[in-house]
Amino acid sequence: MAIRDDLITQITTNTAFTSNVSVSQELPFESGGSPLYNKNMGTVYVDEQQISVEQLYRTLDQSNVNTTTTTVNAYLSTDAKNEFNDIDTVVANLLIARNAVANTIDSTSDYEIEITDDVITYTFEYNFITV
Amino acid sequence: MAVINVTSGSQAVLVLGNTSPLATPGAANSLVVPFMQDITVNATPGTVRYSTLDSTASSAFTTVNENSISLNVLLDEDVFFGSSNTANKVANDGLLTTSINKEEVFFSVAFEGTDSSDYYVSGKGFIGGLAPTASIDGAVWLTPIEITVNGELTKATV
Repeated sequence: MAIRDDLITQITTNTAFTSNVSVSQELPFESGGSPLYNKNMGTVYVDEQQISVEQLYRTLDQSNVNTTTTTVNAYLSTDAKNEFNDIDTVVANLLIARNAVANTIDSTSDYEIEITDDVITYTFEYNFITV
Repeated sequence: MAVINVTSGSQAVLVLGNTSPLATPGAANSLVVPFMQDITVNATPGTVRYSTLDSTASSAFTTVNENSISLNVLLDEDVFFGSSNTANKVANDGLLTTSINKEEVFFSVAFEGTDSSDYYVSGKGFIGGLAPTASIDGAVWLTPIEITVNGELTKATV
């Protein structure tokens, strides 16, 4: 199963406690040039995963060992004037959803906030490093 | 005259066997140690220094050669713990058991690969210096290996 699928499954589990947030598996999540997370506030959209490969060990027989960094972004928009009362818990649970991905040597997650008009958009970035 | 380029992946090769023919580069049933990060052939004459009253610099004379092979590798399960091989006891027992049992092994260090007329250095000795280490950042097992050479190193061609 792809890391994106694991992440969606865990985000779904971690947000099951609240009725304010749902999770979409849809790709792409744009309509008419606008992202759907701005239209469907309260829905988490998970972008396609991006992968980069770097060399971890070089060997004389060219049996090199590589690390693969998989980056996945997720988006959640809320009404800035009427934000959920449990948004802090939602954000915390979205961040720790990274723990669902196994066999990594490192995993990180963070988020940024962007406010446009009356919409707060949370952009989460997950990074998973595997060998 | 040219440097020996080892970047092709088939030049610098360590071969082990429980007999000299098995430890020849390219020989059937030889144990090729994979995932080497580096390898060093230490060919060192022993020396004794002494001083005399009529000289402002010390003098020296040679004693016996002290040779060794040292390398660092990523651990391969079959090579480290052994894999069934009726022809080559070192391959069958693995590096760890061979070291624990203090069994003498024959080795060759190929400098240019295993093609005809390629140079290699060979000898016999004892495997030691195993110190497998793992960390979550390192992701895999790594270990140094040292072969303490019993006797002289000899050069030859394939």
